Amino acid sequence: MAAHVLVVEDSLLISSALRILLETNGYSVGVAGTAADAIEAAAASPPDVMLLDLTLPDGDGLSVLEELRAREATPGVTLAMTGHDDDITRARSLAAGCAAVLVKPVPVQELLRIISERSA
Amino acid sequence: MSTELDAESLEAQLADLNRAIGELRDRDSLKTQFLSNIAHDLRTPLTAIITHAEILRDGLLGDMNQRQRESVSTIITGGRQLLDMIAEILLYAKGSSEPLTIDPSLFSLNEVIDQVNQLNQSLVARKELALDCYVPADLPLVHGDRDKVMHVLMNLLGNAFEFTPPGGKVWVTASADHDTCMVQIEVGDTGRGIAPDHHELIFREFAQVDASASRGHHGTGLGLTIARRYVELHGGRIWVESELGQGSRFFFTLPCDRIK
Repeated sequence: MAAHVLVVEDSLLISSALRILLETNGYSVGVAGTAADAIEAAAASPPDVMLLDLTLPDGDGLSVLEELRAREATPGVTLAMTGHDDDITRARSLAAGCAAVLVKPVPVQELLRIISERSA
Repeated sequence: MSTELDAESLEAQLADLNRAIGELRDRDSLKTQFLSNIAHDLRTPLTAIITHAEILRDGLLGDMNQRQRESVSTIITGGRQLLDMIAEILLYAKGSSEPLTIDPSLFSLNEVIDQVNQLNQSLVARKELALDCYVPADLPLVHGDRDKVMHVLMNLLGNAFEFTPPGGKVWVTASADHDTCMVQIEVGDTGRGIAPDHHELIFREFAQVDASASRGHHGTGLGLTIARRYVELHGGRIWVESELGQGSRFFFTLPCDRIK
């Protein structure tokens, strides 16, 4: 069965690009634009991979991961996506349990490779 | 006519001046905030544009012919150039709104220069330039913020590549001064050079030697301002030696470990 990827991203422009990219590569894709929607979607059906934007309209993206852990619905792998390529963001995300921190825009081939390796 | 101003009038003028300075500071900080917000907001649609273009370029939605691929690749290159400019504006705005700090460690400048050399190999080849790095193997370790030093080197090299025509030379050298315990790094090129009148101007924010809309080089005019901030944060100095048509040599200094 195709791995399920939940894209947590408040910009529809970006999430629609990621949806096209991932669906054409055989993944089943869900999209959430807020932390609350992401928690609801992931708790209902824990994704194999969660692509998590760190800045969401209703809070810090990492709080989504914390809440899911508390509900015992941690995604298989969480990959943080951020516009800020700095050491503090990187350290915070890894400490919170993200497997990698990707700086937007992530080159599409790199993103596909990371998702394929991490969801194998 | 009396030339004496009474103390009261002087005090009133001083209060007016202080009020005007306060207003200017407030406006400056509003402008910086605006710059930061707009730069941040520009990045989101640009990220989507680049991602969509890469999906097309890589044939994920169907094959494209060679010319279509080249055209889409140009969208990606242009988009990434814009992203770099936006990142520069954000760095500048951040440095203007809060005090910059450094995260110091002792590190090998040779390793940083090697890394910078590697990162630039494909650009150097594409622009048909020669990049030479002459750094003594026994150069003492530098005491500073590795990422910021790397940023300064990348900026100076980026300018050297931009302003040096094909067939030209770009070099990086470094040496240590035993008396001051500083290393001096030089980034030089055989490019178009800079008139002495402009040697100070180029380090000023938003300044470009040619500010006309038809200028050949389009950048934010912030790269060297940020480089100077970073070098001065380390207690170092940055300057240029150049003449028009004679190439440029940029120098900066950084504190280093004791020389054995």
